[in-house]
Amino acid sequence: MIQTLVQAIEGTAINNWVLSTSWLWPLMEILHFVGLTLLLGALLIVDLRLAGFLRQMNISTTHRLLPWAIVGFSINLVTGVLFFLGDPGRYAVNIGFQMKMVLILVAGLNAMWFFIKLKPMMSSWDPYGDTPAVAKVIAYLSLGIWFGVLLLGRLIPYIGTG
Amino acid sequence: MFVFEWIEETRLALWVGESLWGYPLLLSLHIVGLAAVVGIFTMLNFRLLGVVKEVPCQPLVTLFGLAWAGLIINTISGVALFTSQATTFVTNIPFLIKIASIAVGVLIARPILKSVRADGASWDTGDSAPDSSVRMWAVASLLCWTFAMFGGRLIAYL
Repeated sequence: MIQTLVQAIEGTAINNWVLSTSWLWPLMEILHFVGLTLLLGALLIVDLRLAGFLRQMNISTTHRLLPWAIVGFSINLVTGVLFFLGDPGRYAVNIGFQMKMVLILVAGLNAMWFFIKLKPMMSSWDPYGDTPAVAKVIAYLSLGIWFGVLLLGRLIPYIGTG
Repeated sequence: MFVFEWIEETRLALWVGESLWGYPLLLSLHIVGLAAVVGIFTMLNFRLLGVVKEVPCQPLVTLFGLAWAGLIINTISGVALFTSQATTFVTNIPFLIKIASIAVGVLIARPILKSVRADGASWDTGDSAPDSSVRMWAVASLLCWTFAMFGGRLIAYL
């Protein structure tokens, strides 16, 4: 299945464009770094407050940072897809890359858990107070998963195919 | 240049360059530190520039303990990474741009944090807003950290 996908991508116009444009790869790497600092910078504050720290901040105010987390994620989604389309044979079989993608999915489910189950109740919490245990679990999971994504991404060249 | 040749022969440099785990371990530490430093600086600078509103700046300053911890992690991991290829790095233009950007970025933190400590309470209640000199420091700070990542990424290319 992986081989079919790789073969379907290789030789396409976008695959050739990414590979043959010499400045594109380093530029995308820099953008990928800018994106990760926006995503993790914003999430660090949102999740630490959700975990009960930074209580001088109104908890719903910290959510004003979420659009920047989404901007950072979007930059990295676009650059990440282009990395993959440019060199599918390298990424598709890489265990570090596969684990990174799984973790991003888990992060998405964790965020859904928050928005479906907890966000509707947030207005009943003391905006400057401690948070319920379930909120802390979601916050620590979020931080743990995203730092895991960061590490796996960095280690893709070293993990290889197992 | 003799000193850099000597550095490359130290036990640390040989461990970083030749052990299976040295380089990836240091790169892992370096990216965690980067996320903390640049992430926290970016959010404070965004707040000072009014890109994000309502988020109070004083609590953001309490996060700088984490940012400085990140900077220490990256200084240590960065020095260790440097030793393994000292003679190459020291003449590498992107590396020199990176180091200069970090130095300026750290120096600029001083006036920024000083003004938040002095006036942050009034900014947080909405009685006043960061003036143009604070906003200029914030722009300079954003540029420094972006340049540092720019240089860091290009080390491998030039």
